[in-house]
This record gives sequence, C-alpha cells and structure tokens, in this order.
Amino acid sequence: MRGARRLVHRHIEGSRVTLALSHVTKRFGNTVALDDISLTIERGEFICFLGPSGCGKTTLLRIIAGLELAEEGTVTLEDRDLSEVPARHRNFGVVFQSYSLFPNMTAARNVGYGLECRGRPRAEIEARAAEMLRIVALSDHAHKLPSQLSGGQQQRVALARALAPDPEVLLLDEPLSALDAKVRESLRLEIRDLQRRLGITTIMVTHDQEEALTMADRIVVMDTGRIAQIGTARELYDRPASRFVAEFIGRMNVLPVAGGRLAGLPLALPQGATLIGIRPEDVRLHAGEGPAGRAILPARLTNTIYLGNLAHLVLSVEGIEHEIVAEVPGHACKAIADAPQIGLELPAETIKVLA
Amino acid sequence: MTALTADRAAPAVRRSRRNRLAAMLPAVVVGLPLILFVLFPLAHILGRSFSTPDGFGLANYAAMLGNERFLRITWNSFAVTLVSAAVAIVMAYAFAYAVQRSTMPLRNLFRMIAVLPLFAPSLVQAQGLVLLFGRNGLINRSFGLGIDLYGYWGIVIASVLYVFPYAFLILSAALAVADARIYESAEMLGASKWRAFRTVTLPATRYGLAAAIFVCFTLVITDFGNPMVIGGDYTVLASEVYNQVIGQANFEMGTVIGMVLLIPAAIAAMVEKRVSAKQYALISDHSRPLVPQKDRLRDLALLAVAVLISAAILSIVLVVVFASFVHLWPYRMTFSLRHYAFDVQNGIQPLWNSIYVSVMAAGIGVVAVTAAAYVIEKFPSPAARGLYFLSILPAAVPGMVLGLGYILAFNSPSNPVYAIYGTLVIIAIANVYYYHAHGFLISGTSIKQISGRFDEASATLGGSRRQTFAKVTLPLLFPTLVGIAVFFFMRSMVTLSAVIFLITPNTQVAAVSVLYLQDRGATNQAAAFSVCIIATIMAVLLAVRLLLNAMGHRNVSLIR
Repeated sequence: MRGARRLVHRHIEGSRVTLALSHVTKRFGNTVALDDISLTIERGEFICFLGPSGCGKTTLLRIIAGLELAEEGTVTLEDRDLSEVPARHRNFGVVFQSYSLFPNMTAARNVGYGLECRGRPRAEIEARAAEMLRIVALSDHAHKLPSQLSGGQQQRVALARALAPDPEVLLLDEPLSALDAKVRESLRLEIRDLQRRLGITTIMVTHDQEEALTMADRIVVMDTGRIAQIGTARELYDRPASRFVAEFIGRMNVLPVAGGRLAGLPLALPQGATLIGIRPEDVRLHAGEGPAGRAILPARLTNTIYLGNLAHLVLSVEGIEHEIVAEVPGHACKAIADAPQIGLELPAETIKVLA
Repeated sequence: MTALTADRAAPAVRRSRRNRLAAMLPAVVVGLPLILFVLFPLAHILGRSFSTPDGFGLANYAAMLGNERFLRITWNSFAVTLVSAAVAIVMAYAFAYAVQRSTMPLRNLFRMIAVLPLFAPSLVQAQGLVLLFGRNGLINRSFGLGIDLYGYWGIVIASVLYVFPYAFLILSAALAVADARIYESAEMLGASKWRAFRTVTLPATRYGLAAAIFVCFTLVITDFGNPMVIGGDYTVLASEVYNQVIGQANFEMGTVIGMVLLIPAAIAAMVEKRVSAKQYALISDHSRPLVPQKDRLRDLALLAVAVLISAAILSIVLVVVFASFVHLWPYRMTFSLRHYAFDVQNGIQPLWNSIYVSVMAAGIGVVAVTAAAYVIEKFPSPAARGLYFLSILPAAVPGMVLGLGYILAFNSPSNPVYAIYGTLVIIAIANVYYYHAHGFLISGTSIKQISGRFDEASATLGGSRRQTFAKVTLPLLFPTLVGIAVFFFMRSMVTLSAVIFLITPNTQVAAVSVLYLQDRGATNQAAAFSVCIIATIMAVLLAVRLLLNAMGHRNVSLIR
C-alpha cells in the first residue's frame, strides 16, 4: 500500500518538523494581509490558527493549501519547497467552512473523488470510500446526496473526503462554525480523536477560543496579519505575551500601573511595568476588611452577574478607572454582596505583566 | 514536477508572467468568432455609412439630416417608443406585482398567459390586432364600426403587447425576492401599505424597473415587424431601414439609418447591463422571504388588472388561432383546415427551416456563450475583459443592423464565410450572435454560482481543470445549459429582425413567411404559420420540461 510506505518513510526521517513557513507575506492591494509569518509545525501535531475575523488566519491556510500565492516567503514540506506546486499536486486534505461537497455526487462518490482524480482502479476507490465512511460512522448514508444529509453529516463526509487520498497534511477552515452547539461539541471530540488515531498533521482555523483550547496541541494566535503568540492552551492562558492575547483568550482585568503601584497599593512588579492583568477567577474577595498584613484594596460592588454555578461580581475601587470583574462560586456571591464592606486582593503570583 | 528544481531566485515573477500569457490564449480563441460575427459586420456597416460616390465622407449623414422626411421618421420612432415603453412598464409592473405579491387566485395561470406571446412570431401582435380591429377585422365587421387602427396607435398598442412579456419577466424576477423583515419594520413603525410600497417596494425594485425600461425601449425602437403590418403610412426608423435596403437597394442610406438606430439602442443596452448587475446585491443571507398576506381589496383590484391584461393577450393569440382555422377570413367563417395544407410558395418548408435554424442556434449558442462565460470566470486577464465586452456588445445591436452587417461583410466570394452565405447556417449564426448577450449572462451567473468553492475543493483533492469541468462543473451546469438551449431555440423560432436580410427563397424561415403572407393579404395562411410556430415551441418546452423533471431537475426556469 502506498499509504503504508509513506508511513515508514515518515518514521525514518530525522527531523520532526514537517511543515515550515518562512517569512510568508501577502498583500491585497495596499492592505497587508499577512506580514512576515514564520512558523514550524511538527509531524502529527494539531495546530490551531486563532484570531478575530480579518486577522489573516484563513489567508494563511489558503496559502498553505496552494489556493492562494504568497508574494514573499516559502512554504516547505519535509524540506521540499511548495511554492511552485499547485494545490492539486500538494496532496493536502482541506475541509472548507461551507463543506463544498459536490451536490451532484453521493456521499460515497464525494469521498472517492480524490482517488478518482488520481486514476485509481474502481475497486480500490470504492473500498477506500466505504472504509472512510465507516470511520466517520456514515456507512448507512453512502448513497445519499449531500442535500439529503444533515449539517453534521455533511461535515463528516467532507472530513472523510479530505482524508481519503491519505493526505500529508489536513487543513480545516472553520469546519464547525456552521453547526449548532451540540453537534459542534461532539464533532470536536470526533475530529480530535480521528486526528490522533491517524497521526496526521493538522491545521485548523477558528475564531472560537474554546474550540482552539479544547482541540489544539499548540495555538497560533494571530492579530492583523501577524503572529501574536504561539503556545499550548496552558501557556497562552497563564502567560499571555500581550494585552491582545490576554483579552482574546479567556477574560482578563487589564489595569495600568505606575511606579509599581496600583491605586497607591505597592505590588511586587518588575521594574518598568506599565500594564498588568489578572484573571477574574484569580481576584480574591473578602467580606469585610480581610485579613490584616496583606495587600487589600477597599472595593464597592456595582453589579452582579449570576450565572448559576458561577457569579461575576463587578467592583469599583477608588483610584482605579476601570471596573474589576471577580469570578466567585455561585453560592458565595450572596455573602459578599451582603457584606457592608468588601476587600479586594490581587495575589501577587497570579498577576501577569502585559507591558 | 521539474518546476520544483527550477531556479528559485524570482519564481513568483516568472511564473505569473508565463501564466498571464497562457491565460490570454483561451480568451483570444473564444473571442475570435465574436470578432468575426459581431465586430467585423459592424465595422462594415460603419464603413459603408461613410462611403459616398465621391469617396469617404459624411455626405450620407448630411443628406439625411437635411431631409425633412427622415427627421419626421426619427421623431415618429421616439414618439412610438417612449409611449409604448412607458405603458408597457406600468402594465407589466402591476401584473408582476399581482403575480408575485398578492394572494389572488390562479397566479400560475396568469404567469403563463403573460409569457405566452414569447412563443409567437414577433409580429403576432400586429397580426392579431389587424384581425380584430383592421378594416376587415372582427370588431369593425360585427358592429359595423369604422375604427381605423393603422398608424401611430396601432403600432403603439402592438408594441406594448410585444414588449409586455419581456418587461414582465424582468419585473417579476425583481419582485420575487423580498426581505420580510423590512416590511415588518415598516409596519411596526406605522407605515401605511401605500407608504410601504413607495418607500420599500419601489426602491427595492428600482434596478429591475430601470432594466425593464431600457429593454422595452430597445425592443420597440428596433422592432420592424409590427410597424410593417399595422403602421400604414406611419413610418419608423426600423421599417425605413427595411424599405431602403429591400425596397430601394439603397445600402448606404440603410446603413446610415442603422447607425442612427444603433446609438439609442446601444446607450439603452449599456445602461441596462450596468443597472441589472446591481439587483442581486440587495438580498443578504439573513433575509427572510416575504410571504404575501391576504388583502381582499388589493387582491381584487390586482385580479381585475390581471384579467384585463390577460384578456388582451389571449384575444390576440386566440384570434390568430381562430383565423387559421376558418375558410376565408372574414367572409366565410366556417371551420376549415385548408390553410394547414400550406399550398403557398415553398409550402411547409419554411417551418422546417425554422426548426433546423433554431436547433442549430441552440447547439452553437450553448457552446459559444458557455465557453465565453467559462473563460472569463476561469482565466482572468485583460483579454478576458475584452471578451466580456464583446459578449455583451450584441445586446446593443439591433437585429436588422447585425443582419445588414452580415450582407455587407460576407456577401463576397473573397470572404471565407461566403461558403455558408445564403444557407441556413448563417441564419443560425446570426441568431446566436444577436442573442449572445442574454445567453451569456444566464450562463455567466450560473458558472459564478457553482465555480469558486467547488473548484477549490476539487483542486485540493487532486482534480485537474479538465477533471473538475467534466465531473463537477458540467453536471451542475447541465440544467442551465438546457435552459440556454431552449432560450436560443425559442428566440430563433420567432425572430424576424436579424434574419430578414439573410433569407433567400430557399432558406425562408417561418416568421418571415408570416410577414410576407400577411403583407400580401394571405391573412389565413399567415395565421396558420403563426400557430405552427407557437405549437412547435410549446411542444419543445413541454418535452424539455418532462425530460428535466425525469432527471430530477425541477427548479429550472425555461422561459427567459
């Protein structure tokens, strides 16, 4: 089998890096869509490009797929330059946001299309299509047209179709954004599971941070055509490199500091810090003045957002322009709300320096 | 894969230059027939209009502008065109509104009645009016009246009925799509129904309206069949071209008037193309389709309008059918099939000629417009922009002008096209290029819809351009292609203008037979030919519809 041979080939390669982007730049007219992007992706890794709309993540995916040309920079796969290789010779599997299943073909023919284009014998095509449909649990729907399938089923056919020719890399362009919440959640796990089993290098574009956090090995956070930060979900959450990343992933109270002090309260900060962040769940609240000897600011409750298991308390502190949000367990919010006085503590080990 | 080892110094630049040249090639190949069959004849017309006994000059134009008769004819043309277009638009808007936005009964039946005249030769309106209101017409004879319809009002009424279905199709499409949320907002804000109509409906259909106005304008000013039959002594530009060329063999004056006709038609066509492209942008993905609500008074009023207009259309068509079956109109009104014996010159041959020509035009037309639309979509280049212009250029050219251009360009043994001159093939080709713009736009819209994402999906799965076309694009395009073929077939069956100068005694087509027979007073035979044309088109439409339904393509509109 060709796939098996390639698998062996993959293992004897020395470097673990499979896909490398270097200095990729793309302009649309006068606007820079991608500005000098460099990135290496390891074999079998699941990478997410995460960012708000217009940050260039989809453009970058399309350049990797060969659907778009970069003005500068290179994309290399196993040290082969792909710049001159058109999309159809790259052997990358792509799942599009709108699925793009061929409406005139059954699910099985859609899945077999890639092999059909490669001129494989009919028996092999049919066997492979059946196998892929079995993997995505759609064997019963093999002879249905896309219009007869639900959104989630269409997406699984699209996934099977992309994987059927045994691609080098799997590219997913917001694959779940058109589905409703329940289907989205189960497909997330399904895709992740399939990706691990096949060990296929995968890049997914998404604007949904939860999707990125739950699925990716590493996340590439993008902002206006640049990479803001690369890291695991934990790294990005715990050590955001900038205000953008801090605010884009999870919630963050962002507070300006001057001379190492916040509202007159001295904090243990590195020299020259001007902006700090603290996650709502890290803000500690005390009913009353709080224990003596710790750095505590007197705060006033301005709003309570009750979410059931959790509650967000919005507080204002004398001398701080922005309100501070604290997250507490749902059952604890009444005690604090009823307290005559609230003490707000920012534990030193949870403070993140953003600038 | 040799490209992989190529010098990497400036691959992008080199690649794009090579691609740019290669990308020009398809546009040039597909554009050549358009240059030969549209641009070249037009150039001949232009050249001939400047050719005088003393060489090249403006003498023809000067002679015409100094001619009081010509100025009067020009005035006549505009007087007919502006009034007919205005009346037709108002009628078509009300009718389309009734069909699309009311809950009156039998809406589908009314829709079919509205497009019925498209199945008949383009002079059927004048033919029917003469049968009804002519000197020997049904009305005058039955009631002993002396209505004289020949002249200005005859042309206006015939023209209104002639362009009505075209305006209806455009306005109906514009009124078909509406966002219910906007109407709900208007109602919540306290707008009356009339106010909502003025502030929401009319603005939302303004592009459709503008397009319909310009289409009607072009159709009327370039139509010569109806003025020939019912115009009497009232001459318009289009019939004057015919008189000059056929009557007096004065090609120079014919071309000069043709040029004069070309200018307003070209302006109208260009504005229409510009405007109609904007209609589609008004509906977003989030729109919720408007479902008309019951409103007795409004529905009753609209029903009355629809019934009146339908009665006018039906009486025209039915009186022609009726006349074809009577012994001798209007003297012996007994049933007779003798006019279907076609014991006239050439017999039934013109009908067969029409069918041959129409089938050929359908085949050639589908390939020509699809190739042009495909190349423009897939091989963008400066040449493709030129191809786009050439593809929609025929919309601006009156059929008679194109036909005249063919005589001047190809009626010479030195031109290779002369081989098919005087055959049915050249008539088919004239029809293909006369209707090229419309077919091209249908095909282009469809290709745009199915292109992009499926192409990319196919490419990432390893499909070549050829594989993508054969396995994905063509199957998806198929119903549209059938629709375009039907379009070319229908128009070729009924048109007069492009073919009138190209027929020979052996290649006469049925629509021209109707004109000639009507012209020499053989009213009954003319009617029988018209009925045969209508029956042929209806049979073909029915057959194609059944075929498409059997193949599972139910939502394809065949009447454009």
